[in-house]
Amino acid sequence: MSGWLLAAGGGGGPVIPNFGQGSACERSGGWFCTDWVRANWDSTLQPALVQHIELTVVAVAVGFVIASVLALVGYRWRPFDLPLGVFTDFLYTIPSLALFTLLVPFTGLTVTTVEIALISYTLFVLYRNMVAGLRGVPEEALEVARGMGLTRVQTFFRVELPLASPAMFAGLRIATVSTVSIATVAAFVIPKGLGEPILTGLQQSFGTEILAGSLLAILLALTADGLLALFQRGVTPWSRIR
Amino acid sequence: MILGDSFTPGTFVDAFRFIGDHATLMLDKTGETAELSFAALGVALLLSLPLGLWLGHRHRGLFLALGVSTLGRALPIIALVAFFITLFGSIGFWVNAAALIVLAIPPLLTNAYFGVDGVDRDVVEAARGMGLKEPQILSRVELPLGLPLLLAGVRIAAVFVIATATIAGTVGGGGLGEIIANQASYGLSGVLAAALCVSALALLTAFVIGLAQRAASRRMAPRT
Amino acid sequence: MYRKHTRRAAKAAFAVSLGVALLIGLAACGGGGGGNTTTTQTASKPTIILGSKNFSEETLLGQLYGQALTAKGFKVVYKPSIGSSELIDTAIKSNKINFYPEYTGVIVLDLAKEKSPKTANATFRAAKKYEEGRGLTLLNATPFEDVDTFTMLTTKANALGVHKISDMTKVARFSYAGYPECQTRATCLLGLKNVYGLKQVQFKPLSTISVYTLLDNGTVTAGDGFSTDPQQLQKKYTALVDDKHIFGFQNVAPVVSQKLVSGSNGKLLEDTANAVSAKLTLNAMQQMNNAVVVAKASPTLVAKKFLQANGCRS
Repeated sequence: MSGWLLAAGGGGGPVIPNFGQGSACERSGGWFCTDWVRANWDSTLQPALVQHIELTVVAVAVGFVIASVLALVGYRWRPFDLPLGVFTDFLYTIPSLALFTLLVPFTGLTVTTVEIALISYTLFVLYRNMVAGLRGVPEEALEVARGMGLTRVQTFFRVELPLASPAMFAGLRIATVSTVSIATVAAFVIPKGLGEPILTGLQQSFGTEILAGSLLAILLALTADGLLALFQRGVTPWSRIR
Repeated sequence: MILGDSFTPGTFVDAFRFIGDHATLMLDKTGETAELSFAALGVALLLSLPLGLWLGHRHRGLFLALGVSTLGRALPIIALVAFFITLFGSIGFWVNAAALIVLAIPPLLTNAYFGVDGVDRDVVEAARGMGLKEPQILSRVELPLGLPLLLAGVRIAAVFVIATATIAGTVGGGGLGEIIANQASYGLSGVLAAALCVSALALLTAFVIGLAQRAASRRMAPRT
Repeated sequence: MYRKHTRRAAKAAFAVSLGVALLIGLAACGGGGGGNTTTTQTASKPTIILGSKNFSEETLLGQLYGQALTAKGFKVVYKPSIGSSELIDTAIKSNKINFYPEYTGVIVLDLAKEKSPKTANATFRAAKKYEEGRGLTLLNATPFEDVDTFTMLTTKANALGVHKISDMTKVARFSYAGYPECQTRATCLLGLKNVYGLKQVQFKPLSTISVYTLLDNGTVTAGDGFSTDPQQLQKKYTALVDDKHIFGFQNVAPVVSQKLVSGSNGKLLEDTANAVSAKLTLNAMQQMNNAVVVAKASPTLVAKKFLQANGCRS
């Protein structure tokens, strides 16, 4: 079918609806255009928020599982602790944008790339905190367990784990807040998450969009932190929440 | 900005070759990143140390110290950069520095607070009993004793700022981030090279501060 | 007893956390993999995986075609912000997408790397011939064109006394901002250097900051603004005349995989897309770009309004 356009079917040109010029606030790229927020919540802001929550939850969940395994290894077999610690430290110093760029050849411009990078960063916080928590269990408690005749496994689940959980929760909270923050950089790779409105707003010099994306990200992080703190209090009431 | 080049084991070799071939470029860019990072850290120290030390000394403002710490972690760098660029209507060194300063303050403030706040009360009482005035207690007793924790905060802040400073490269701020954000110009090997340089700079800085930290702790260790 | 309760609770909490985490991780792996490639189904309508590049006009075009096709009963999956032409071309070649709007001149000059044809029609035909040799095809092109430009601040152009790009030979040093792919394109930096002989140009890659902001800041002398940007209508900016015509003819035409237009619903798909393309005049695009960039409306809503006004969707 080679028909070149300009035939454009009958009648004159297209009907161009009046798009309006936007409010004065929008035209000048103002910071507090509430009408814009209301108009674009469903199409732009809410999807970005939901995507951001998904990115964070997956990264923290998978990071938690991996870190738990690594922490058990590093705790149980001391020789592994140093290399594991150094490796996770090193991961943290790699800038997020670089890590994304370097992963793209392997996993493409996809959510997977972003998730792998985010998980790497959570490992840094979680591994250190979990091992430190386990190591922080007082020797006396272990002796009591030994005296009571508990097996190694029983000791772990009944003594070491509960006593280590405050540190683990602290790590979980830090990892979650950090992940929400770093996930905004994902917008450089895929158009998902709250980084997207921030970058679009920056491109268009539009303060409201930047502010909307930023505030949502900050609120999300603080809310997640608060919820985890409540969960921690419910589960380990003896520990002091910091 | 991100292309579909392939990443082979050869890319690692190419990265080191890149550093060798472009030594001046890498040094310049590393210098730019270092300049930006240390300037931001310096200003952040100036802003947060006095407040953190004083609050810790008075044992007031625990909530503030904790809240700032969490809030700081919750602030996305691109939000801060976008905010300052759009607010000041310009790009360049100081808008990026402003964003990094805001990010560096929380760990510095928090650790300054806890470093001083955590000093053994008996020691402080003893100093008071010896007739030392409040400012002297802070400078001669609490600060030296709290130095290890404070330096730990500086270390955390330094690594964080150096790694985050690369975002400046995406908004015309130069530095190693500019290479990382420009795969089209420098290739994947260039990006890897720049990332390794950032890592090296961060780890080196952390190491040096770690030495200072250890020296400070050793001085204060109880002599048996 | 208090101790027993907390011990058990802590154990339970850890187990639950681990379990939830594993479930989420598995769900993510399961859910994230699907939705990449599709095969054309014979009796029912094929799924259109519609890609667009990473600037607002492309997002708008993607929405215009996508919403019109959805209205005709096709399932459309959007993959926005894919990146440059080179990247999106790789995506369609590897079946990650099967439909995307492209500029004819870019296909001929930058992808096929052929010489510039003399007319818009010739460019379209050459582009179509090129794509058809690769398992793809081109649907009808739009009336409007969007070419790269050599844009400067009007004050700067007057100060330097330049009116067309050839005049820049008298400027000793200047910088030009463009997207990264500009460096390897005949329709961009290579054209400036080789056809105009402007070897003294210093290239500055664009990423997150708009070229007009860079011009305002004085960071660059000139930049690759697009000819349909609303800023081009402002007196503040001037696009120098492209007297050696390196920017080519750049009408938009959808690149689609041949599999998509064969089969019983292929004609419906073509007709729907062609009907949309026919309506995209320069004035229409300028108005829509203005709505998105200046009035800060969302491309989805702008496309919807336009299509509704023209009977392409309800």
